[in-house]
Amino acid sequence: MARITAGITSSHVPAIGAAVDLGNTQDDYWKPAFAGFDWTKEWIAKPENKPDVVILVYNDHASAFDMNLIPTFAIGCADEFQPADEGWGPRPVPVVKNHADLAWHIAQSCILDEFDMTIINKMDVDHGLTVPLSLMFGQPDAWPCKIIPLAVNVVTYPPPSGNRCYNLGKAIRDAVESFPEDLKVQVWGTGGMSHQLQGTRAGLINAEWDKKFLDDLTADPERLRKMPHIEYLREAGSEGIELVMWLIMRGALGKDVRELHRHYHVAASNTALGHIVLEPKE
Amino acid sequence: MKQNIHEYLAEFDDIPGTRVYTTARARKGYWVNQFAMSLMKDENRKRWLADEKAYLDEWPNMTQEQKDALLARDYDKLLDLGGNIYFLAKVFSTDGKSYLQAVSTMTGMSVEEYRNMMLSGGRSPEGLRSKKKGY
Repeated sequence: MARITAGITSSHVPAIGAAVDLGNTQDDYWKPAFAGFDWTKEWIAKPENKPDVVILVYNDHASAFDMNLIPTFAIGCADEFQPADEGWGPRPVPVVKNHADLAWHIAQSCILDEFDMTIINKMDVDHGLTVPLSLMFGQPDAWPCKIIPLAVNVVTYPPPSGNRCYNLGKAIRDAVESFPEDLKVQVWGTGGMSHQLQGTRAGLINAEWDKKFLDDLTADPERLRKMPHIEYLREAGSEGIELVMWLIMRGALGKDVRELHRHYHVAASNTALGHIVLEPKE
Repeated sequence: MKQNIHEYLAEFDDIPGTRVYTTARARKGYWVNQFAMSLMKDENRKRWLADEKAYLDEWPNMTQEQKDALLARDYDKLLDLGGNIYFLAKVFSTDGKSYLQAVSTMTGMSVEEYRNMMLSGGRSPEGLRSKKKGY
């Protein structure tokens, strides 16, 4: 049977992708941001940790979804997805290959479990999805695993609540565990941490709040499930709301987890970069 | 856990220097944002850069105020007029500008000053969480 073997969170700042694509990861500005991923790159390359499939939770930044269509939860079910042209040409990264059988299975299972998923086939994937892949896998000719895109609306209000996201994670876990193929599946939550990309408050960073969020992602997700949107906005900036997506990852891991690795760095462009690797305890 | 939608939305106006992208803003900015999406195609970027005013003429549903703000790259004004930063990113990316460069223009700081603030830990949330409570 398929099983959830680990959860990873990571920022998906577009400038990180540009640094990888332009070969700037070792310059003074970027070196400390990338150094925190060395551990994970080594860990994930080991056969016992390497996922067969990653369910990659991210938000589309007005690339596949414009103002005509705003799905709260959309799961990519096609066989493959091309990198999006976000205004400066597509990133030079591999095509994203899906595990379509598992994606369709998760879609069906979650809908039956009362999560009204949007199923999407034709979709280009933007930096929200491709930057975490670059951080974890570098620059291979092909991504080393299958990837199921799960896009969450965190742009047009209201986004889903943290509790809804956590519960969707639980439903995804049930779906994965009822899939007959023997697969190691990871769930990644991306975006965050504190950042604000607008107005006179732009550049807001709340390291204390971010660190407590990381602590509780491991130890007290019940507190995070109850956190209202307004707290994310006040404490972590208007774009800090992306952190609700991390709770999908956390919900999929079950009650108790072990924290394997953590990295926190200010600043990557406008953003506090947060990264954590968790594995289920049972 | 059910929240009252009116109270939910009203709280957003209490955050200093922030325009949350509510449905009211999304409706107001629909054509600005759809215009921005058109710049995801290289042929459109070329036509836009060659003659911005002529390209804007193809968008009759946009207000003149929105068009003027686009021509001026006044991102702060565009947010007031219903633009969203992820859509507007197509405009500044077409100009070869990064998020950091575009975002800094809304802060009253130079790009260099803003970049240095970010490198030294970013903007503190102290006093910027709530207008009413001032914390």
